[in-house]
Amino acid sequence: MGLRNQLELASPRWLARLHTGAILLALATPGCFLGSGDPSEEGGNGTKTEEGENALAERSRFPRLSHLQWENTTRDLLHLDARSGLSESFTRDPLGGMFDNNETVLKVTPGLWSDYQIAAEELSAYVTADQERLGRIMPEGASAEPLERARQFIESFGTRAFRRPLTEAEIGLYVALYESASEVLPGTDPYVSGMQLVLQAFLQSPFFVYRVGESEAPRQDGLIPLNGYEIATNLSYFLWNTMPDDDLLAAAKAGELDTAAGVRAYAERMLEDPRAREVVGSFHAQLYKYEHYLDLSKDPALFPQFTPEVASDMVREAEMFVDDVVFKRGGGLTELLTSRTAFLNERTAPIYGVEGEFTEEMQEVELDPTTRSGLLTRIGFLASNATPRQPDTIHRGVFVNLRILCADLPSPPNNVMGLPANAEGTNRDRVNAHTGAGTCGGACHATLINPVGFAFENYDALGQWRTEDNGLPVNAADEYRFASGTQKFENGVALSQVIAESREAHQCYAKHWMEYGLGRAATDADRPMIAKLSEESRTGTPVKQLLLSIVESDAFLTRSPLEAP
Amino acid sequence: MINRRRFLRGLFGVTVALPFLESLAPRNAAAGPGDVPPFAIFMRQANGVAQQTNDEPEMFWPRNLGAITAETMNTDSDRAISELRDYADKLLVVRGVKFAFPGNGCGHSGGGNQCLTAARVSDTPSGNASLSMGESIDNRIARELNAAGVEPLTLYAGKMAGYIDEVMSYRGPKDIRAAERNPYNAYMALFGLSDLEPEVLKRLAAQRTSVNDLVREQMKALQSRGNLSEADKQKLDLHFTSIRDLEVTMSCQLPDEGVAAMEAISGSAGANDNVEIVARMQMDIIALAMACGVTRAATLQIGDGNDSTSYLIDGVRQKSFHKISHRIDSDGSDGPPIEGAATLHHKIDRIHGQLFKYLLDRLSAYEFGEGKLLDYGVAVWLNDLADKYHSYNNVPYILAGGAAGFLKTGQYVNGGNSANNKLLNTIGAAVGCRNADGQLLDDFGDPSLERGLLDDLIA
Repeated sequence: MGLRNQLELASPRWLARLHTGAILLALATPGCFLGSGDPSEEGGNGTKTEEGENALAERSRFPRLSHLQWENTTRDLLHLDARSGLSESFTRDPLGGMFDNNETVLKVTPGLWSDYQIAAEELSAYVTADQERLGRIMPEGASAEPLERARQFIESFGTRAFRRPLTEAEIGLYVALYESASEVLPGTDPYVSGMQLVLQAFLQSPFFVYRVGESEAPRQDGLIPLNGYEIATNLSYFLWNTMPDDDLLAAAKAGELDTAAGVRAYAERMLEDPRAREVVGSFHAQLYKYEHYLDLSKDPALFPQFTPEVASDMVREAEMFVDDVVFKRGGGLTELLTSRTAFLNERTAPIYGVEGEFTEEMQEVELDPTTRSGLLTRIGFLASNATPRQPDTIHRGVFVNLRILCADLPSPPNNVMGLPANAEGTNRDRVNAHTGAGTCGGACHATLINPVGFAFENYDALGQWRTEDNGLPVNAADEYRFASGTQKFENGVALSQVIAESREAHQCYAKHWMEYGLGRAATDADRPMIAKLSEESRTGTPVKQLLLSIVESDAFLTRSPLEAP
Repeated sequence: MINRRRFLRGLFGVTVALPFLESLAPRNAAAGPGDVPPFAIFMRQANGVAQQTNDEPEMFWPRNLGAITAETMNTDSDRAISELRDYADKLLVVRGVKFAFPGNGCGHSGGGNQCLTAARVSDTPSGNASLSMGESIDNRIARELNAAGVEPLTLYAGKMAGYIDEVMSYRGPKDIRAAERNPYNAYMALFGLSDLEPEVLKRLAAQRTSVNDLVREQMKALQSRGNLSEADKQKLDLHFTSIRDLEVTMSCQLPDEGVAAMEAISGSAGANDNVEIVARMQMDIIALAMACGVTRAATLQIGDGNDSTSYLIDGVRQKSFHKISHRIDSDGSDGPPIEGAATLHHKIDRIHGQLFKYLLDRLSAYEFGEGKLLDYGVAVWLNDLADKYHSYNNVPYILAGGAAGFLKTGQYVNGGNSANNKLLNTIGAAVGCRNADGQLLDDFGDPSLERGLLDDLIA
């Protein structure tokens, strides 16, 4: 994207936002205003647009495979029937932001190197122990003569392992390793041992464990276009979370990925594959923290219907909902926040107050549009942001502010104590007394956190609809200041609609997809692209189309040159 | 699909395990005071201890500063520290140590980030995701005293709830090291090859060396590329130094039934009810690692960042430790007071005391030359907060073992409200770390802190 484009995109919206931000800043207490997904807040590498040079965030040239990517890749590379599960014992990666593929925390440490080594030994032993298994990864019509056969194998397998053709020198290294087997491991079958060594060396190679950025020649605007193999690789890890298949590698070789249109055509095909559904599911699972649904505890005296099975049902419901919206209905963020379609079974239907014949199987139903909307009014989100007995207003509010609106909340004070117990009044009264206007928590809570949290007062700690709290009528109405103006809402259903129409939510969603798609935090330089995606999303573009917009963007197809030190 | 232990044992044929003691024998016979390099082990408890505050009595520290003996421990039997009475003469109990810097939105995270680093807490990320701005002392010890590419052992016992998980070990600013919570993985990573026959081991070493050579060549080619970013250079350097050839030396192992128990618990190593069992298994591994000279530094974190473990007290699974530490039935929203929470907290302190004693027992089980393994190193029971208010002042550091005579044990001292960098300097110096001038380490942690050691701790 040229500088002019960037400015055109940037000027009206970003200036307007800056302007509104300034006003809000003046109105609200310092440090607490709706930053609405401003990526610059997270630091990172700034751009140097004033120098006239096109710029993107600096990327690592060695993003490491995530453990899940390693699992998928070894499965597909070795044509195993299923994931080996070996990565379960790998040294874990530290948490790195919202998603599991953030390149800054993915490193090969001594512990992980040793894990890779042992896994490579185990996989090589497993594959070479059986002619049929070895046959799966042999090129068709390979020579019967062992050395020639090994050479042919190295060439074809190496292309898949490195996701690019090997150089002659590289082939030579691996052939030499193969030939060394008789010396290194005397007394064994030199063909089998040789193949084992070769497989181990491929699986431990930096060209396997990293997606190595090879291209170095900049085009006229200064950005470095990625070559077809790099694009095939990035495309595949983004949309399938695994290595490119033979078709994609062939497309790279044939130059079919050298244009944005070509890339888009392949991406469209990839989105039809079940692996893409897994990726879209995983994105939302991490964004909405489904894993927390599995770690809930509810007071059995108040919620006898809550069992561990219900927790799993919540996850399944959320997964099926997202899949339905994105893949069956071709929907976007708006539908994710407002669709009433749900997938319930005999355990969860009563929690939603849906009557009818249900079994263990999930059944598609339409929920009451006056009490339920999309993801934010579903029991998974509501129950996981609740204590064993009460709705957790503050965490519901914080979650929506941080993860759905990308509001710039400062951290809470250190060592804040919990809400006082209070037998009288409603949950809302108690939250207000502790954090509302006029208290020391008033700055952020009164204007940003609590209003959003209060909207969900109609849902108890399990996510069941309620109209009374502690014998008093529930009040879920409030208002929230968006950049476009203050919006009032009656309850969580109305708030979902308001959020679905807000710039902030679409900007936030776009930013998260950029981060997930590129495997790094968004920075200032991504603003124009995020703004473009956001506008597409707000005007009804389906999620699948957003992903296509990402893969045909400069952020995806090029790399920024290293800034001079 | 593949059982790792069976696989390793099956490499190139069947192998026979050496008996446990026999496998340590070579070292045992040859060892003298100079042959066991000093080491440091850090066991972290979360959520502060039940010590005196404005509204609660003292239940943790000894009554009097000065000498700690079996006798004083008896007088102090109502204090949690008395769980260590068997080690009275080996203890160095230090009060009056604080964390120098404020947390950033989350007391737990800020405390965890400082307890071994004496560094500032990150501006971004903030809150429960905040990180340390400097390396931790275990990393410093390993970096300075271990062979290249040998990291400190970083272990964990208990749940990982995803709010704050590991907090202890940092390679550098914002570069936290993941902790291993599965003892079986930890054991296999260190000692998985121990029961291979020497002949088999030799072949494995040869095989690995030839593969490593090829991989090293590829790494070097990448490292020598021009125009790499600083972050990429560091990433490749860490990777390169991680590649190590197998050294066929002494073999160390735990008894088969112990390893089998680790394997059996592998799938549920993170379960709430297994915290104490897993902690003890991790201590078995740490003690063996020190006995065999695998590394010079180890950490063991008990529970997640704000330990939410439900401990078993008087036969009852209690509310989460975090809630008990706040004295209310809540992680921060609402809830009635927990009946007898101060006493429960005290009992949880005692559980940690008993766990630490188990570590000291294990370190005392290995005898070398004149003394026991414990005498050659120092084990530390620390907390990343002070008390029920989760304050950063008077954070407990309980040391045991004299680091081959460097530390003056058998006493209870007051650090005089000094920042924890001086304590960490003292521990680092005790095990052999030096500053840039070759003098005893005295400048660890944030450069703004006053340099120096805690002299009262030194023999």
